[in-house]
Amino acid sequence: MSQQRDAVLRVEDLSIIYRSKRGDVKATSNVSFDLYPGEALALIGESGSGKTTISLALIRKLPKNAVITSGNIHYRRNGSVQDLLKLSNRQLREFRWKDCAMVFQGAQNAFNPVLKIRRQFEDTAQSHGWTDKAAIRERALNLLELVRLDPERVYDSYPHELSGGMKQRTLLALGVLLNPQIVILDEPTTALDILTQRAIIDVLNDMQRQLRFSIIFISHDLSLAAEMADTVATVYAGQIVEIGPVNDIFYRSLHPYTYGLLTSVPTLEHLQDHLQSIPGSPPNLINPPDGCKFHPRCAFATDTCHKDSPPLEHDIGTHLAACWHKDRLLESRKELV
Amino acid sequence: MTSHSGDIQLDTSGATGPVHAVQRLLTKYPIHKNYNVRVFVQAILTIWAIMSFTFVLVRFMPGNPVDILIEQILTQEGISYQEAYDRVAASFNIDPNASMLDQYLDWFTDLLRLDLGTSITSPGTRVVDEIARFLPWTLFAVGSGLLISFVLGIVLGMMMAYYRDSVLDHTLSLISSFFTGVPNYIWGLLIIIGPGISWRWFDVGAARGTYDPGLTPGLNAAFIASVCEHALLPIITYVLATLGGWMLSMKSSTTSVLNDDYVNVAEARGLKDRRIITSYVGRNAALPLFTQLSISVGFVLGSGVVIEEIFVYWGFGHYLFASIVVRDYTAIQGAVLVLTTAIVLSNLFADLTYGLLDPRVRISGEK
Amino acid sequence: MKAQTAQNLLYAILTIPLGVVGGTFKFLSRLRANRAGFIGFLGLLAYFVLTFIMPGFIPFDSEVNLDEIAGPVGSRIQLAVHADNAELQTFEDLAGLTVGVVDQTGGPSLIAPYADSINIEKYRWTSRRAGPGIRAALVDLTNKEIDAMLIFSKNVEEIRADADDPELQALFAEHIVISNPELGPPHLLGTDTQGRDIATHIVHGGRILILTAFIGGVIATLIALVFGSLSALVGGALDSALTALTNLVLAIPRFPLLVVLAGLIRFDNMLFLGVLIGLLGWPPLMRAIRAQVLSLRERDFVEAARSLGLSTNHIMFREILPNMASYVMINFIFSITFAMYEQIGLLVLGLAPIDDYTWGVMLYFGRSRGTLYNEDGASMALSPVLAIAFFQVCLVLFARALEEVFDPRLRAAV
Repeated sequence: MSQQRDAVLRVEDLSIIYRSKRGDVKATSNVSFDLYPGEALALIGESGSGKTTISLALIRKLPKNAVITSGNIHYRRNGSVQDLLKLSNRQLREFRWKDCAMVFQGAQNAFNPVLKIRRQFEDTAQSHGWTDKAAIRERALNLLELVRLDPERVYDSYPHELSGGMKQRTLLALGVLLNPQIVILDEPTTALDILTQRAIIDVLNDMQRQLRFSIIFISHDLSLAAEMADTVATVYAGQIVEIGPVNDIFYRSLHPYTYGLLTSVPTLEHLQDHLQSIPGSPPNLINPPDGCKFHPRCAFATDTCHKDSPPLEHDIGTHLAACWHKDRLLESRKELV
Repeated sequence: MTSHSGDIQLDTSGATGPVHAVQRLLTKYPIHKNYNVRVFVQAILTIWAIMSFTFVLVRFMPGNPVDILIEQILTQEGISYQEAYDRVAASFNIDPNASMLDQYLDWFTDLLRLDLGTSITSPGTRVVDEIARFLPWTLFAVGSGLLISFVLGIVLGMMMAYYRDSVLDHTLSLISSFFTGVPNYIWGLLIIIGPGISWRWFDVGAARGTYDPGLTPGLNAAFIASVCEHALLPIITYVLATLGGWMLSMKSSTTSVLNDDYVNVAEARGLKDRRIITSYVGRNAALPLFTQLSISVGFVLGSGVVIEEIFVYWGFGHYLFASIVVRDYTAIQGAVLVLTTAIVLSNLFADLTYGLLDPRVRISGEK
Repeated sequence: MKAQTAQNLLYAILTIPLGVVGGTFKFLSRLRANRAGFIGFLGLLAYFVLTFIMPGFIPFDSEVNLDEIAGPVGSRIQLAVHADNAELQTFEDLAGLTVGVVDQTGGPSLIAPYADSINIEKYRWTSRRAGPGIRAALVDLTNKEIDAMLIFSKNVEEIRADADDPELQALFAEHIVISNPELGPPHLLGTDTQGRDIATHIVHGGRILILTAFIGGVIATLIALVFGSLSALVGGALDSALTALTNLVLAIPRFPLLVVLAGLIRFDNMLFLGVLIGLLGWPPLMRAIRAQVLSLRERDFVEAARSLGLSTNHIMFREILPNMASYVMINFIFSITFAMYEQIGLLVLGLAPIDDYTWGVMLYFGRSRGTLYNEDGASMALSPVLAIAFFQVCLVLFARALEEVFDPRLRAAV
């Protein structure tokens, strides 16, 4: 622990279940990762894999039926460390957005339809102790400019007067209004057309360079991850099955699931006939399979995989993967190429 | 828009009549597309239609009030048919010698000048004066009752939504079913029987009328206190009878707003709870209720007939009922017209103010 | 074409009740989750028994007992005698004796048939409760100035519980025997201004109201259904015309209009009133059904039917109507509550026929004869008030439970 740089966020052994009528859904199990200042971490995985649960836990906005059964989340600010799971309501309210902002999926409805954008910026700032409206305005206009909008016009608009892409960018500007250390982006580009997606990505890269915040973004869009992330974590059935630097993940993936995700995406480099989907469907999280949770869908599965759950182990440097058969995966890839 | 102006061009090539002038003007300034203008014109047309309907009813229907009255006066007083006819016609503002169209126009202009004719049973009393005397009391009682129940319903409904499926929610929704189900006059009777007669919290007899006799109307404390005291029972009744509806509407509206993204985002933005509850949840959830408010104004005004009879509150409903009992046709006609107009106007008011409350309507002109 | 329409109509007529019955079963099976709705449903069943079955067994008490006026709730006539004469048990035993009765407590009317053989001593019933009239009679009885007295059981209990004069109580306890508990039937809900049993009136007074409200609800729902679906399916000028008509009728306040009509026409028949209520009551429902059909029309399965080239009436009767059945059912129940509201409102004002002695008529008399303002007589107004209130609440609870049990999307579309 101490040999590493100071992480802004350290998640350790986080397990969350959802209570439901049919039983407890094990949404995330024993998730651990670190987030460093200025780093962009991508959580990728299929829908229902637990990505969003992890991010909601970070701002403590889990649904009412969720229970955190183990783990802790340490957040570091100005050299002092807080456990997010032990914050009082008041501390939590202050933590949200000022320290960690979350840009939700589908910004279409993220703004209160009856208030002008201006009021919503002011609400946010005033809730965190700002009083000078002129200062809020100046900061907001700067940020709106940064996301390449017409600042004056947007600032005095109602949400319904903005297009989807404009709202998404406005929400990004609102997200960094209080200069947070962490910005969580949940599927920041889905439901947008391809040109707007491009613009958002550029804006995000710009902003991160200028404002130096850490990003956690959640996506099933691997190309987006490749473009933006420093670190990529693959989430499967509520567990991080592989985490590492972006290049390692993409060019030397050690987990069959990550590899499956990669080959299921058409890219210009890959030939069309390499494209394949992962057989089967994600496991039932009320009664997950024994051993490695991926084994029912895995081409490499052996008896060991049925019985024992593989640990998340170091391979090279900071690249970790939870698989018994990393070597065989690497072998098979060599044959393919 | 483009196709529309195309139509106009086809129609108006070379034409110069007033209709075409209007059409051209509308093409240039499309005020008929403006939400407020449309709503306003619709209201005017409705009032006009109902006034005309009343005219036809009074004048042409078999067994219409004019014929009935003439019959009555003939049998009672033994004067000539013409005399009786003239007297009735005068009460109704009808000039029997004019053509039908002129009669209609006369009658209509009289209405526009707020001349509703004179009372038949107490000759010489102008109906409009009588209505002006009784209506304010009803407006006061109904208005304050609705306002109180609206505010209360919004608060309780939001509580139900926030504590969904709790004991509080279940209790309140059972109570709201009681409030909605039990007719308002039944509430009135229950108030009289329970607190009034059995528990003697107040004196039922003393609550009659609109204020204590012997007081000078005006802005003095004794008068205002007396007015409120007399209106209290009707107001409580209106509140009880309408509260359940507001609670339930507000609950379902709030429940859907609570699922909206912007509330979730507002919480993630670390806004203070009070700010979220008032400006984010409350304001959006209450929006659809304002339209319902206008509809219920009409309903409650109408139901005032029974409530005011039960509490012997001398308001508009009492006046209408008294007129019906003595068959004062001009008074009934005037009262119905005023009531209808009041309802149309309250709908109009709601439609127009809705635009102020919801910016989306203001811009697009559509609900 | 005509035959097909008839066939479709027949289909609808057959399937809608089936749908309703099926829906009711579905609803009943889910009632565990909705206790309030279950209570409402049971309540409605109870009302059915009360108003449609019980009248067959309990005769209407139409015997006017002018002196048995406003008998207190839960009381019966009893005979009080001096302890020395405890053998006095029946009216026959009283022949030739002096019997005290207090007016307004029912005694005189019971004694009336024996007036020739009994000497009647009348006491005035002066105050509301534990009146001095009763006390005076009891004092006279202990002093043997009268031989017996007829009294309501409730009054006896009150006198005995009256602790302000322990001496008097001891005296009563020692000398007075309340004998012959069979005298007079118990009045569960007391008696009205004519000394008639209110409970029997409650049993008989609901049927006609419920039938009238039902007729009103059926007519309003049918008109709304026809206009609403025509408006939505045909569209164009017909839609505009029907919508305009609806808006116009909506602008006229329904209840005052009914009051005016009822005041001028003077109905002589409750069922006619039901028809009129139905004819005036359709507009809000028509709007709702029009919106509902419009939204159903855009659903996939209707689109599919249309792209298959199926006729409009097939789409209406086979695709749209079955999907609206529960929605229509719920609104039908609500229109019954409105019809109930309106007709009883008219009855309270005295503008509807009062020949049938219904709950509404009881209210009217309760108010006009002033028993409403008399603590002991309030039962005459309170009983129908509660009967009406609980009936309406049961309907509302039931309708709301239906709303929750059936497709919630339908609710959102209103």
